[in-house]
Order: sequence, then C-alpha cells, then structure tokens
Amino acid sequence: MAAAIFNLNHHAGFIHWHFIQLSVPNVIAIVLMLLVFAAAILAPFPGGRRSGGAS
Amino acid sequence: MSASAERSWTVRLRRRAVAALPPEKLLPDGQPTYVASWIYVFGVLSLASLASIILSGTILALKGPTWWHVSSIGHFFNSIHLWSVELFFFFMVIHLWGKYWMAAWRGGRKRVWITGAVTFLVAVPCALTGYVSQQNFDAQWISTQAKDAFNAVGLGGFFNLMNFGQMYSYHILLLPLAVVGLVIAHVLLVRKHGVVPPLELEQKLEAASRGTDPHRSS
Repeated sequence: MAAAIFNLNHHAGFIHWHFIQLSVPNVIAIVLMLLVFAAAILAPFPGGRRSGGAS
Repeated sequence: MSASAERSWTVRLRRRAVAALPPEKLLPDGQPTYVASWIYVFGVLSLASLASIILSGTILALKGPTWWHVSSIGHFFNSIHLWSVELFFFFMVIHLWGKYWMAAWRGGRKRVWITGAVTFLVAVPCALTGYVSQQNFDAQWISTQAKDAFNAVGLGGFFNLMNFGQMYSYHILLLPLAVVGLVIAHVLLVRKHGVVPPLELEQKLEAASRGTDPHRSS
C-alpha cells in the first residue's frame, strides 16, 4: 500500500486561545473554506459576466 | 371530466402539483444571467457529493460494516464515502455562507432557506452515526464521548450512542432518508421560487416596478 502523503499516525495538534480550542486539521479546513468562498465571489465565471448589467 | 374524476384525490393532487410546479419550472432550459457566478455552483456541488455518498454508502451497506477492514476494495469505497462526506460539508458550508450573505430567504423563499438549514442540521447526526459505525477504536472512543454529551443534554433516553445496531440503523436508513427527503424538498422549492437574485438587482427591479431609479436622488 502506498504511504500517505502526510504522516497521520499521531495525534493532531491543537490551537488553543482562551476558551477556543481547534485542531489544526479543522483550522486548515476552515481557512480553505474561507479562501474558496472568497475566490467564488471574486473569480470571473467563464463566459458569464454581463457587461451592461442584467435586465 | 366526469364528476367522479373531479372528486378523485389523484386528480386534485395532480392539479395542485402542476399548478405549483409546471413542467417548464420543474425542468427549466435556462437560468437568469446573474446565476453565472461561481458562488451559485456550490449547491449543485453539494448535490453531487450527496450522490457520491449515497452510491458509495449503498455499496458499503451491501457488504456490511466490517468489509472495509478486510478488503482493499472495501477500504477504497470506505475512503470514497468518507471524502464525499468531507466535500459535502465543505461545499454545503460555502453554499450556506453565500446564501446567508445574499439573504436568500427574500421573495417568499423562507421555506427554501429553512429546508436548507434543517438539512445541514440533520446531516450532522447522520455523519456522527457514521463515525460510530466504523467498527474500530475510533468509533468506540467517539461513541463513549458522544454518549456523555447526549446524556448531559437529556437525550440519552432516546439515543444510546453505544448501541451499535441503533446507530447503524440511523446511519444507513433513517437519517439518510431525512437528508434526501429534505434535499428533494429544497430543490423543488428552488424550482418553484427560482434562484434568488442578487440584492442590487432586486432593488433595481423594485425601483423599476415603481418607476424610479434607486441611484438617482430626487
């Protein structure tokens, strides 16, 4: 069996700030979602952008 | 049509269904120009992920919950199932953010918003019961921890997280039925009401209906 790209055979790291405690994998997932959300709003849709506004 | 046919429940149901969702609305051949944006893609990406979840889950159910421990093919389908769930939540959260910031409950779309939000809430225990059905130490750990949480909020009398049979039944039948049923209702409501327009466009349409320009001060 091929080895995993990342070694997952250990406990996840945690980010702890006051009462907020998040695992590093969850933080990565949240940051990725925010980046994809921003890209979905800002990136032009191929062949779809109107020039004079929708009627 | 005869009087008896007029009284028939099937005729009345058909008329109501066609009135609510005429064929051109149910299966449209085009969408408004404002739908040409990446933010409108995440609903259908969630649907594609859900289809992958159901398909891989059906294959896993055919072979039983321990199959993926003893077969590389089982492991493959288990991984497809897991990553489809990860993508389902990933896309659904972005879909939810997008719809929240465009106030997608506007224009009589309250039920569209509610069915989407409830689908998200029901999908969470659907995933949880999957984690406790893995038949490994991870499942044992999660079930014992979640059992305490359910007891703490007073739900332990209804759900026993350490009862594998109950959790597996919830995971492969009851909760997927609820999620799929809610998603079908959500999509039909979107078809009925149409995709919500951007806020700016709605203001322009309202101004046009009143015969005023929203960007011109009087």
